[in-house]
Amino acid sequence: MTASGNYDHLIVEREGPVGWLINDRPDVRNAMNNAMRDEFAEAWKELDADPAVRVIVHTGNGRDFQTGVDVSELATDGVGMERYRQSMEDFDVHFTSWHQGVWKPVITAVNGICCGGGFHWVADADIVIAASDAQFFDPHTSVGQVVAIEAIGLMKKMPVEAVMRMAFMGKYERVGADRAYELGMISEIVDPPARLRERAQELGETIAKNSPAAMAATKKALWGALEAGLTDACKEGAKHLVSMWGHPDQNEGPAAFADKREPRWQSLDGDT
Amino acid sequence: MSTYETLEVWTDGTVGWLVFDRPEAGNAIDAHMFTELEAAWEQLEADPDVRVIVNTGSGRAFQTGLDVRQLARDKEALRTSSRQTRDFALRMTGWHCGVTKPVIAAVNGTCAGGGLHFVADADIVIAAETATFLDPHVSVGQVSAFETIGLLKKAPMAEVARMAFLGAHERLSAERARQIGIVSEVVAPDALRARAGEIAAEVARHDPAVLATIKATLWNALEHA
Repeated sequence: MTASGNYDHLIVEREGPVGWLINDRPDVRNAMNNAMRDEFAEAWKELDADPAVRVIVHTGNGRDFQTGVDVSELATDGVGMERYRQSMEDFDVHFTSWHQGVWKPVITAVNGICCGGGFHWVADADIVIAASDAQFFDPHTSVGQVVAIEAIGLMKKMPVEAVMRMAFMGKYERVGADRAYELGMISEIVDPPARLRERAQELGETIAKNSPAAMAATKKALWGALEAGLTDACKEGAKHLVSMWGHPDQNEGPAAFADKREPRWQSLDGDT
Repeated sequence: MSTYETLEVWTDGTVGWLVFDRPEAGNAIDAHMFTELEAAWEQLEADPDVRVIVNTGSGRAFQTGLDVRQLARDKEALRTSSRQTRDFALRMTGWHCGVTKPVIAAVNGTCAGGGLHFVADADIVIAAETATFLDPHVSVGQVSAFETIGLLKKAPMAEVARMAFLGAHERLSAERARQIGIVSEVVAPDALRARAGEIAAEVARHDPAVLATIKATLWNALEHA
């Protein structure tokens, strides 16, 4: 692996075609303080801009994936949630791949606990897998906070009752990996949990065999579909579909298939 | 009854059957099927004896999408399919053709790429245990859009996105498709047509006007973000 950047609260690495973004505040269950929030904005952009990175995996160091905002910083810095009032009112936030306009496939690999604000990275990923000991819950209401953005994102992608139940049960109930899998919130359970990163890397390398340009256009079509009704989404989708017509990958794909070899796709920056 | 070269179309009591019939080509849609599909949906829609339509495939595959190689040899068909794709004016599925009767897809085997249109656009979907679902578009440099957008409106996104991005390199099993609600029932392969016919006959017991109203209402609900 090659690490990069100057991050205090994240680890950003590359392994083959897979870029890794790892939450790295294990002593506080990877809770997000203000500095980490800024680092996310930069890390997503860094991995998105690197043409060698074709897929991004996001996971957490230590026992847990992510536990939302760092409440102890909020309680002690004299500013508290007020720091975020304007950016929240404007929904001008920058800590997930969706916020940052990343059009490469993003896999979230949930280790241990994912709670509260941690759901941002479940809702905003394309593919979500989890270790068999992963647990999900949303304690916002139990500490007098509203849950909105994370739950809204999840509701667009999975059965609504389960999201409402988590929102209202707060810290008093947890959803295990099995139930998350049944609901389609995650698409794979990795057991034993220690294999999570190895499996995410495998999955990333498999996805990296596909055309980067076609995947970017597909991602735009799918995320656009969350913003629109079915027919309008298909009409918008047609634009993304047609955007690939004439692209070299559209000849390379069938040619490689006919020659029984791996395709040589164009990089997203246009180089081969 | 009209005759088709690439489809088998018949009625059995109140149930109309639309069966992809190019088993030697995985039931892929060539220029001929492309035209015949529209005619077949219109025929079954217009037939007052038909109250429910079952859509399945002959042979081992259900449907494997556009036969791009064959289409490319037929310039007129290629122009038409390109225009219909660009304008999202396709005429391949019941939904595209404005069918108001309930449509049951019975997935008998591989359902790949454009084959997913017929799953996304059906009302009820059942599958054989041997059925698999995959979307190889991005593995051949193509964008996945209409089919996965349709599925996204009806099933959990993490699985739909997984299918879109893994491309030819992974298949969704019939059982997992049932778990996440893309499919509502999985049966033994040799029982699939009989079971689809049973379900269709049960649905057909209801007032056709009520069925049409329900179908229009529920599909309209998908037209809002």
